[in-house]
Amino acid sequence: MIRKTHFNQVETNSKTDSHRRNTMNTLPRRKVLACCISLAFASMALQQAHADSGYGVDTAVGNAFNTGYVGGVRDTDATAGHTPTGQMFNQPYATEEAVAGETHGYVEIGVLSKQADNEDAMFRAYKDPKSGLYLNSFGVDSESDNARFVTVNGGGVGNNDQFYNLTVGRYNDWKVKAFYSETPHVFTTTYRNLWSGTGTGNQTLKSLTPGGTTNAATTDTNIEAAALATPYSELSIVRKKGGVRGDLKVTNNISVFAGYSNEKRTGARPFGLVMGGGGGTGGVEIPESIDYNTHDFLAGMNYADEVNSANLTVAASLFRNNIDTMKVENPMFLAAANGIASFPHAIYDLYPNNDYLNVKGEYARELPELMKGRFTGVVSVSQSKQNDNLIPSTSYSGAAVNGVAGGSWDTVDSLSQPTANLKVDIKLADFGLSLKPLDDLDVKGKVRYYETKTNSDYWACNPLTGQWGRLINDGSGNAIMVGSATAANNQPTYADAAAANLAINAAACDASAVQALGIVAAAGNNNIHSAPYAYKQMNYTLGADYRIDSGNSVNANIERETMQRQHRERDKTREDKLKLGYVNRGMEDGTLRLSFETDKLRGSAYNPDPYDEFYSASLSALPFATGTNVSSWIHINALHRKFDLADRDQNILNLRFNYMITPDLDAGVAVQLKDIKFPDAAYGRGSQNQNSVNFDMAWQPSPEMTVSGYYAYQTGKMEQQGLQQNACVIGTTYNFWSDGSISTVAQTAAQLAAGVTLVNSTTVTAGNFLSGCGTASATSSLYPTSRSYTINQKDQNNTVGLGFKFDFDNKNALDANYTHTNGRTATSYTYNPYALGLYTSGAPTAAQLTNVGLIGNGFADQTFSLNTLDASLLVPLTKQSSVRLLGHLVFGDIHDWHYDGVEDLPNPNTNQQTYLDSGPQNFRAYVFGVMYQLKM
Amino acid sequence: MIRERFNIIGATKTALAALLLVFSAGQVVAEEAAATAPVTATASAPAATQADATYIGEKGCTTCHETENKNFGHTLHAKVFRQNPRTEVEKQVCEACHGPGSLHAKKTKDKNLLIGYTKEWGTPVEKQTAQCLTCHKGGQRLHWPGSTHATNKLSCSDCHNPMAKFSASGLLKKRSITETCQTCHKQQEAEFKKRSHMPVPEGKMSCEDCHNPHGTVTRPLLKADSVNEVCYTCHAEKRGPFLWEHAPVREKCTNCHVPHGSNHDKLLVSARPFLCQQCHSPSVGHPGTFYNAAGTAANSLNGGTAGQRVIGRSCQNCHSQIHGSNHPAGARFQR
Repeated sequence: MIRKTHFNQVETNSKTDSHRRNTMNTLPRRKVLACCISLAFASMALQQAHADSGYGVDTAVGNAFNTGYVGGVRDTDATAGHTPTGQMFNQPYATEEAVAGETHGYVEIGVLSKQADNEDAMFRAYKDPKSGLYLNSFGVDSESDNARFVTVNGGGVGNNDQFYNLTVGRYNDWKVKAFYSETPHVFTTTYRNLWSGTGTGNQTLKSLTPGGTTNAATTDTNIEAAALATPYSELSIVRKKGGVRGDLKVTNNISVFAGYSNEKRTGARPFGLVMGGGGGTGGVEIPESIDYNTHDFLAGMNYADEVNSANLTVAASLFRNNIDTMKVENPMFLAAANGIASFPHAIYDLYPNNDYLNVKGEYARELPELMKGRFTGVVSVSQSKQNDNLIPSTSYSGAAVNGVAGGSWDTVDSLSQPTANLKVDIKLADFGLSLKPLDDLDVKGKVRYYETKTNSDYWACNPLTGQWGRLINDGSGNAIMVGSATAANNQPTYADAAAANLAINAAACDASAVQALGIVAAAGNNNIHSAPYAYKQMNYTLGADYRIDSGNSVNANIERETMQRQHRERDKTREDKLKLGYVNRGMEDGTLRLSFETDKLRGSAYNPDPYDEFYSASLSALPFATGTNVSSWIHINALHRKFDLADRDQNILNLRFNYMITPDLDAGVAVQLKDIKFPDAAYGRGSQNQNSVNFDMAWQPSPEMTVSGYYAYQTGKMEQQGLQQNACVIGTTYNFWSDGSISTVAQTAAQLAAGVTLVNSTTVTAGNFLSGCGTASATSSLYPTSRSYTINQKDQNNTVGLGFKFDFDNKNALDANYTHTNGRTATSYTYNPYALGLYTSGAPTAAQLTNVGLIGNGFADQTFSLNTLDASLLVPLTKQSSVRLLGHLVFGDIHDWHYDGVEDLPNPNTNQQTYLDSGPQNFRAYVFGVMYQLKM
Repeated sequence: MIRERFNIIGATKTALAALLLVFSAGQVVAEEAAATAPVTATASAPAATQADATYIGEKGCTTCHETENKNFGHTLHAKVFRQNPRTEVEKQVCEACHGPGSLHAKKTKDKNLLIGYTKEWGTPVEKQTAQCLTCHKGGQRLHWPGSTHATNKLSCSDCHNPMAKFSASGLLKKRSITETCQTCHKQQEAEFKKRSHMPVPEGKMSCEDCHNPHGTVTRPLLKADSVNEVCYTCHAEKRGPFLWEHAPVREKCTNCHVPHGSNHDKLLVSARPFLCQQCHSPSVGHPGTFYNAAGTAANSLNGGTAGQRVIGRSCQNCHSQIHGSNHPAGARFQR
């Protein structure tokens, strides 16, 4: 839908006179019409907002059929003119003069007919129109003659997007607002639900056998059959939120407020279940049950006099998850593991309860004697904490990892701590001073400090066995630190891995003691400790705003932002920003705003692997024995840059131009060009840009007709480069061939025949593996550059909105709005199939050729288009009543390659991996209604 | 392959040249406009100013401004001024905002003699704003001076229209907060129409749920102390902290999500698994793997191998607790 449009603005006296004559001739009839139209708009006359842009949310309480207020009724006002920027002010219809103490009411009720495809999740994502009797909106405004008032309104009665507002108070004295609103969120209407109990903490399989049947192959077949036999159903949640807030003006300088809101969020959404070791040996898309309850408290005080302004607020938020842990029956068959025979269920620890508290003070003081200065200061302190009871790694008794009994992995005794005992402390201090050294010059300096610190200190070690690491995926896998399988790494101290394991376990979770053993672990990437992330941010800003004349001004802003992070790839980063702006309000018919910003982020040395201390590598000696696979000691390609910490050059140009082409036609154009480069990111995100151009116009050739429209065009691009790792084994020689392939064998006959020659060779040793394998190069056995690939994603979006409003013979009104939007993301890539092993060097097989043919150069484009037509025809019956015919037609088309083939093949492999959500679907939705409106 | 280094200096020079060019053009236009403009505050004769005027009372105003009075009567300002004024200024009703009108009543065309809030009237923006702040100082407007909107010379009346009731509250110029913001922010309006978006077009959120257009100490005009604290106001479950944290999640939600709308599922900045691969390229395991179109479920029928990280929820098929896990086994966000 596009925004409602304005009525005509008549600027010259002659036009004004003419217009007024027209107005006078038609005024009585138009007033009837006006009342009726106001009723039509009364259907949108809601959105009772808190009107507090400073604190809290819920500033809009309405629904898709009631997105705003147009209850105002008045004569067209020839003097209304344009905003100071040059946009036409709205101009609604005639009204009676306001009389204190009156009561008004309205209601719109009727019948809706909704026809839509069953798979209409996208249509109903946040709205809930249904067929049948429909109370679209109602409201009552009443006031006494002593400034007391009460306002009640609501809409969407009975549907999942219903809403209600109540406000009582005394003008300029006190008021209490209460609201209740429901928001649906339909995630999918194409989910094949294999479970009962969705929405609860215990989901049981409807027909399949928990833990599978006979073997994996049989179970795989059974799961697929069950999936295909299960009809589509919906996974969605509904947010039900209500709240109350009171505001009181204590004195002319002091006001206080306090509020409370509560939100319950219930339902389910698609979620992932993985079983097995490491990355999983199969998974099924399950429903995640959701039952949240959040209490929010807010209280504050505002003070303002001619010199001082101060705000003090206290906010608390208590999140409670009524499904703290979710048990779901597992349809997959898994082999016995870790002493557990079968895995008929999985248990998730869902989001824990948390408590949040914020205290914030803001102060501003005018300093008229200090170059007309102004000081501002903000201090804010927050804490989020949770101390949820931890659950054991598995619910299955008898688990024994690597044959070590007595671990009691199914009890919290196996954990290093029984509760989470976590908190995040956040501090903010912001101080600014602005001065006016010249009448036309403002300068401002600002210093901002922000800090967030987590106290996380969880050790993954079973105190009962001394084993470091985790029993994962309900015990169906493990990531436990053990001695190297290459015995020579630990000899002669330890005869073999088993002996090394005994020593590790005997250290009884004492990290220093384990380190002192000098044992070489089998892998260096077992998580042993949580990372307590923290950062401190400083911003230093200096800005100036110079008024060249009454219509023109230029401004400049320089800023340095420094960040100190703990346990990230860079200890320190600094970002320097320069922003230049120009504003021209001097044009009689227009306003121009232009700005350019250039940012550059740099920092201390980039450490690609700062996480060693959280992995088993930190407890282990470095492996050295020939034959040891040392890949897990590397962790990441040293040339890979994470985009949030990489060097970054960014340029942004913003332009906004508003122009009054004629008094009854205004137009605007907005442009944003954004370009970002990551100059040192050989791997990772390399560049991105996003460019937008937007045009809008509003035209009212007569009081009876309004035409409006806009067009928005946006393109974006994101480029990245990856490298699929190869191998790094001490003592192994890797040969690099002219076609990019890598092997550990001599030239094959096929290579010889194809002319593939040896380019280079590298032998991994104990002394060179960290550097040689760890950094991408042409001769790195682990990260050979020939195995690099690029991903290029290009977005393009178009949106067109058209609005048309016409009053027929002053008897009825047509209001039609049409919006078309489309988006396309093209994902392409480049790669070397020989290097990646997709082709056998020198002799690609037929199957490989077929596979590479399927790979091609990219995915099918992701596309999305939505056509929305809203039409409303209002037929007045009496001065107080009318009938409104409405139509709301939405056509959506979508293609997302993530879901290609899932509908017909939910279980595409034979590894039990099953995708039960077939994804977003095309839809057609038609909503028609006949509504009766009554104004009281 | 190391990418070509971006020439930021060149780009800066080009942009500055463009800025200068537009500025110069704007100056010319402004000068031309000034030469042809009707009498404005700065161009008018200095003989009389509003400072010499006195209050005449609202009846003096409504004698001529009957229509405006009808419209105004339905607004909160009118209710406050007429039914329960707390200060002498508020008792002046029309003149509380427009200033004393005695001279204006005598010389109605002289735009120096009354504060107006339209483009046509030409009262300097700073003067308009100062008049509004006479009563509306502090509170949620404490950071207005020097804010982005103030620096861009927006007037209060660029968003508010106190002369008629167009919105349920806030005396906005449009029916809702969102419509008001989108009169300028058309890019964001279009972004809210993308495949995944916040429920703003559906009337369940407004721009002000996240932003305070009157100024804040957190860019871009955010209502809380950081991006994450804004997001947590609705997504409280993600506030944590968690036993196992995901570093970019703890620092900034916008590392992975765009706030207004996206061509991708879940407001993601990029398609999965490529978004995840922008950070994750380990030496073992799957995240560094080249994922491609042969991995779709459809292509598994044609000889391809279906990829767990390609289909459906991609990486989150397994790493479903990607915002953080409180499970002792959840270091890889699988429980």
